[in-house]
Amino acid sequence: MKKRGVGMGCMWYGVGNTGLPNPAGAHVDILDDGTVLVLTGCADIGQGSDTALAQIAAEEIGVRYEDVRVVSADTGVTPDAGATSASRQTYISGNAVRSAARAAKQLILETAAEMLGVSQEEIIAGDRLLKVRAASGKSQAFTDCQSECRVGLGLDSGSDTREVSIAEVIAKCRMKGKLTLGHGWYNPDTTGLDAETGQGRPYATYAFATQVAEVEVDEDTGEVTVLRVVAAHDVGRAINPRNVEGQIEGGCAIGMGYALMEEIKLQEGNVLNCNFATYLLPTSLDVPEIYPLIVEDPEKTGPFGAKGVGEPALIPTAAAIANAVYDAVGVRITDLPITPDKILAKLKEKQNKGA
Amino acid sequence: MSEFKVVGQSVPKADALDKVIGRAKFAADISFPGMLYAKALRSPVAHGILQHIDYSAAAALPGVAAVLTGKDVPGANNFGIIIKDEPVIVKNGEKIRKIGDTLALVAAENEAIAEQALALIKVDIEELTPVLCPIAAMQPDAPKIYDKGNVLAVRKIVKGDTEAGFRDSAVVVQQQYKTQMVEHAYIEPEAGIALFDGDVVTMWVSTQNPHYDAKEVARNLNIGLNKVRVIQAATGGGFGGKLDVSVQVHLAMLAVVTRRPVRMVYSRTESIKNSVKRHPYTITMKTGADANGRLTAFECTIIGDTGAYASYGPGTLTRSAVHATGPYEIPNVKITAYTVYTNNPQAGAMRGFGVPQVAFAHEAQMDMLAEKVGISPLEIRLLNALRPGSLTATGQYLEQSVGIVSTLEAAAAKVREIKLERRGGRL
Repeated sequence: MKKRGVGMGCMWYGVGNTGLPNPAGAHVDILDDGTVLVLTGCADIGQGSDTALAQIAAEEIGVRYEDVRVVSADTGVTPDAGATSASRQTYISGNAVRSAARAAKQLILETAAEMLGVSQEEIIAGDRLLKVRAASGKSQAFTDCQSECRVGLGLDSGSDTREVSIAEVIAKCRMKGKLTLGHGWYNPDTTGLDAETGQGRPYATYAFATQVAEVEVDEDTGEVTVLRVVAAHDVGRAINPRNVEGQIEGGCAIGMGYALMEEIKLQEGNVLNCNFATYLLPTSLDVPEIYPLIVEDPEKTGPFGAKGVGEPALIPTAAAIANAVYDAVGVRITDLPITPDKILAKLKEKQNKGA
Repeated sequence: MSEFKVVGQSVPKADALDKVIGRAKFAADISFPGMLYAKALRSPVAHGILQHIDYSAAAALPGVAAVLTGKDVPGANNFGIIIKDEPVIVKNGEKIRKIGDTLALVAAENEAIAEQALALIKVDIEELTPVLCPIAAMQPDAPKIYDKGNVLAVRKIVKGDTEAGFRDSAVVVQQQYKTQMVEHAYIEPEAGIALFDGDVVTMWVSTQNPHYDAKEVARNLNIGLNKVRVIQAATGGGFGGKLDVSVQVHLAMLAVVTRRPVRMVYSRTESIKNSVKRHPYTITMKTGADANGRLTAFECTIIGDTGAYASYGPGTLTRSAVHATGPYEIPNVKITAYTVYTNNPQAGAMRGFGVPQVAFAHEAQMDMLAEKVGISPLEIRLLNALRPGSLTATGQYLEQSVGIVSTLEAAAAKVREIKLERRGGRL
């Protein structure tokens, strides 16, 4: 008989290396035409750091995403950004890139302030423009909205805000012989752990998650099918929500393999199952319906509030599946992976006890 | 209206198009005229001493450009992110600690000649008893993999008084958990290609940390760090398994010796046999709660099999210890985590870094306690979840951005919406 069950798993995950310095650096160059070059040592291995770091630079400088090109992970060209590990690159390299972008933007703001005849604090950047902040009494959102409505009606923006394009400001900078380069680095605020008590501040910030899995267990064969997974992740701020969802979905797939299928078999230190015919991984046919939920509790030291999601995505999955199996058939498997053999053995044991 | 214009937008991934249309260049896609192909001869035994190596027939084989052994490593002949305990090539008279340790390198005109050359190398290994179980490895009479002993690191966390905490508990659950060794299984196996122009070694490699790679190349070639340029090629996943050095130092040595471009690409089997793995753990956990389900005390012992070399092992076990309580506030905590050497494949970083193992355990404990106290899994978690103002097991005061309760609430709302039903009662 097939029985369904539901189980919950929670996790927390410190972002960055544990109680150790792990800085990252970045360079930003705002070029003559207003496009931006970001140099970072951060290796994008498919997780999307080139994209997230471009978004962070674009937001900070006030250009569009497509205006930014990220050159990454070339020791001859880019500054050290440490490892792509510990779910650290969005938080640490993100802060480094933001800091470098801010330094380069500062040079632009100085010139823009002269051009607009206002103080730097009165200038806001966005969409390739530097604008004088709306006069007090009128919110920026109202001014923007009013302008958008007028443009939508085919009128001029009617805005009383004075503005210059970033490209114009750069031209002015160059006329003065000024390059717009920025350098930045970031190291999270941590302490080492006491050797005897382990007390300390190992991470500057933590990501959190709750996952709930629904499984179906076949009591005759011991087979577990994962039907649905709800995965709620506090990422601080999602720089790119679709990429965050992708990380969560991929994590659930790996977590499911960890829970049910994957195991390196050793004999005298030798790996016996060293190809994909014998080392079983979940395929697209095994992956359940996943409901990724992005929870944003912004981290005040993160770039625009961001923390990380790379590793958290998979951490609670096996725990949730194990608890769901218990809910379904009343046996608790305490050694991974939860194979049909182990379930059948426990079911038999339970039946014998009952008899 | 969002307060941001670009942040929070699901813009297309920068690398997506190139990967989808096959334009992305992985290291195995890069070639140069006159390129050589590299292969490694690897140890067939898990524990031993390399007594003698005879590669004269391999070196004499037409089409072989170079055969290198341990004596040819110009620099330190060791690497490792935390502890430099892994040899680039095992030297004569030195220890072999796992199946797959490199005994010789060959660069040849094509892969078939390189394979043929490997088959011509004769090695004489004095076999030692392998240590295959971390618990056995911890015993005083266990054969020593390293002179300093088999226990690489011990991490302790102590907060409050667990004895008193358990005395005050209404319910206690205790259980041993075991987790298995797993493979990262990134879609692209390890690969790289190196050039030497007489001054600078340049390489394109599949990696998660090019700056670390460059440091290991410089140390082992005994050249300045500014004479090494490591460029990350398009990388087909890593999940922590490409944080360690694989082909980097080998390629650099062969490129310098031959003055020709050299490429090395692992087969899937070579990748699985030689790359780091997720640590298998034995975890003993004891958790106490009062009659309402509020956690009172927690004790945990973790033994991690880190295999033959340290890799990220001590970092992994430290992270496990710090996270062993789960995202809950517990006043009395005692955790000990042991990183233990064996002659198994080395375990290192893998997505989750020691936390999936402990999460499997602490979440089972939470459900068992909830059942004993008579509250639901959601209730016991909400009751004990970390909040702003909480103190963690390491005594860290959490000030802000502590979203565990928000994720519990978001998940519970979705569960109600899509009607997931718990057999044992409410969620």
